[in-house]
Amino acid sequence: MQSVLSLTAKNKNTLHGKSNSTPQSKLHSKSLITLVGSPNSGKTTLFNHLSGRKSRTVNYPGATVEYSYADFLECFSVNSKILDSPGIISLIPSSPDEKVTIENLFRHKIFGTPDLFVVTLDASQLSRHLLPALQLKDTGVNVILVITMRDILNQKGYDIELAEIRSLTGCDAVFFDGISGYGKEELSVLINYHLNNPDIPDIIVTAPGPELKEVNLINLFRRIERISENVIIKYDNSSGLTPDITNANKSLVIAGYDRKGLNKPDRTTLKIDSFMLHKYWGIVIFLCIMAFTFTSIFWLASPVMNLIDFIFRYSADYFTDAAGDSWFSDFISNGIIGGTGGVLVFLPQIVILFFILGVLEDSGYLARGAMLIDKPLSKIGLNGRSFAPMLSGFACAIPAIMAARTIQNKRERYITIFIIPLMSCSARLPVYGLLVSYLFGDEHFYSGITLAAIYLFGILSSLVVAGFINKYRSSFIKVEDNSSFIMELPVYRIPQFGFVFKSTLDNSWQYVKKAGPIILSFSVVLWIFTYFPNPDPQFKVTEGLSTEQISFLKSSERISNSYAASFGKIIEPLMKPIGLDWRVGVSLIATFAAREVFVSSLALIFKVTENEGNTRESLVNAMHTAETGTGGKKLFTFPAIIGLIVFFVFALQCISTLAVTRKETGGWRIPIIQLAAYSILAYMLAFITFNGLNLLM
Amino acid sequence: MTVADLKSGRKARIKTIDFTHPSSFRVMEYGFTPGQEIEIMNKAFLGDPLSVSLRGTLIAIRKTDAKCIELDGEE
Repeated sequence: MQSVLSLTAKNKNTLHGKSNSTPQSKLHSKSLITLVGSPNSGKTTLFNHLSGRKSRTVNYPGATVEYSYADFLECFSVNSKILDSPGIISLIPSSPDEKVTIENLFRHKIFGTPDLFVVTLDASQLSRHLLPALQLKDTGVNVILVITMRDILNQKGYDIELAEIRSLTGCDAVFFDGISGYGKEELSVLINYHLNNPDIPDIIVTAPGPELKEVNLINLFRRIERISENVIIKYDNSSGLTPDITNANKSLVIAGYDRKGLNKPDRTTLKIDSFMLHKYWGIVIFLCIMAFTFTSIFWLASPVMNLIDFIFRYSADYFTDAAGDSWFSDFISNGIIGGTGGVLVFLPQIVILFFILGVLEDSGYLARGAMLIDKPLSKIGLNGRSFAPMLSGFACAIPAIMAARTIQNKRERYITIFIIPLMSCSARLPVYGLLVSYLFGDEHFYSGITLAAIYLFGILSSLVVAGFINKYRSSFIKVEDNSSFIMELPVYRIPQFGFVFKSTLDNSWQYVKKAGPIILSFSVVLWIFTYFPNPDPQFKVTEGLSTEQISFLKSSERISNSYAASFGKIIEPLMKPIGLDWRVGVSLIATFAAREVFVSSLALIFKVTENEGNTRESLVNAMHTAETGTGGKKLFTFPAIIGLIVFFVFALQCISTLAVTRKETGGWRIPIIQLAAYSILAYMLAFITFNGLNLLM
Repeated sequence: MTVADLKSGRKARIKTIDFTHPSSFRVMEYGFTPGQEIEIMNKAFLGDPLSVSLRGTLIAIRKTDAKCIELDGEE
């Protein structure tokens, strides 16, 4: 998406409403067309065809929570911007949040007021998808109907008569085929016509009000039943006639014919559901799918990770050999190659996680997962709709918190947002990966189990936290509204692996692009703080020592007098109780920029002290030999590592998460409670774990 | 009798919607309106929520929400 700031400037003229815009002024200022439609009605597919974008379409209701904004492709010669809005089933808001969503359609604070609405309707779901279309038309705006998925209706033996739908709704209508793009030219001609001949008076358009909403809705459905009764006609392929001729002969078809099959859900979907939503097997399959998702992150990724590890180690060694022993060589091989390598090595795991999430979403299973987990989640103040945001929290908390918008109930939404940071996001993977491979080395089986256990621990903690908040909710969130779970279960489809793979790569690239510069700059800053102010310590007695010993002495002297060390000494009293020293403390502070910095920061600090190689394996070696400052005891004991893992499960070390929580909850209250609660929890539980394990061992 | 009481695999026609129920409006927006034929296709573990066939699609709905959909009696 384009940046929000640049959009504001472009849309100044549309912001003031359509009353000042004439066909002449449109030559200079672009008009705005908004796509509206029910979830899964093919809105995003149409958007992609018209704009040439490749936004991924997702088989999960409410997948589009953000607006997408683009120009028309030039070949359509439509001088307009096009806006893809979140899917809605109705225009009448039932909560203050929904009211905002719906008012945004009519007068978006950034994109302005649309000149034309294009509504997508799934032909096989016509009676349900007509609801938002007619509600929109009734507000007096200009509407074009786009009928999608005609082939599915045809397969059922029915078709839609466009002329009839035009006369009964008063809107222009076209067919559009999402796969071939058939119909987009006709649509662009219609759009141009409507933009140049606005046939509506300059009335002030507002969202529909709540007055008499029940009666209005019933009347609207009465109209909808009449329309669908008249526009859906029998489609007879065997007669050899083209649909148009069949339409012409429609009058010959006796009204009230048998409409069997029209209201039957997709047969394949029902068959698959008889397993996936089976009374007993359903939950077993669900647990298996979840277990597979999390274990494959570790087991599938390890060969690729070893390869990346090897490449970075090799290049760092190569550079040190070539550049010799100088501050520059140290800067490149430790500050840059070592720092980034330690993080990029975890990229395969992140790619696999994004890919599996994409496949679950695209196949249509995600909505079933939400249904299966609704009952247990409702016991702790959550909702089946919390499932998808929680699951995507394992990739990154930021899109996950935004996805929580699909939860209508405010209390449930806030609790979901509150616990999402406890889902182990991909940024924590490098940290856990490092700590677990410290404990188990190359034993992938145990590493896998331990990592799975960490994930499970995060999930269980989140459930406990949610249950706790739910119990004392009156003091936490002062909203009591009706909790409900109604959700469309989409048709199963074979995931579009190409699209899923592409968006996986996009997401992973976003991760690298977002985290990369932060990691790199922190590596550089940390390198400076550990290298200076004493870059070249001198020793009086160097006789009888080998070059290696001198170099080792120099680096330990350098780090113990460094800026990082003096800062670390200040926070050392905080680190001691959880079994760690200032070196880990410095790294923990650095994680506030991004959690994954922890690894590169440790790599840097321990590399300087231990003078070992680079990347994960050698960092693990360095950690094994690391000793406490006093008394030469082992620093990274088993209890200390477990305590550190517990710390990372709870600590909310991510500024972006706090920022997005503030945005989604409309204030600093929730993010501040979140930060305070999780910081205290993290420290206390790490303390208990470390000291408890020490007593036992 | 409401949708919440209907057994798996049984079809029924919607008689009316109880507008005193807080979910009634949302239920109608999803297309549960008087006269429509529905069928319980599946039930989740512990029997809740239900997967209901309606207007050619499947809707997952909690029993507490389904209580406001009153039925004509089984066909």
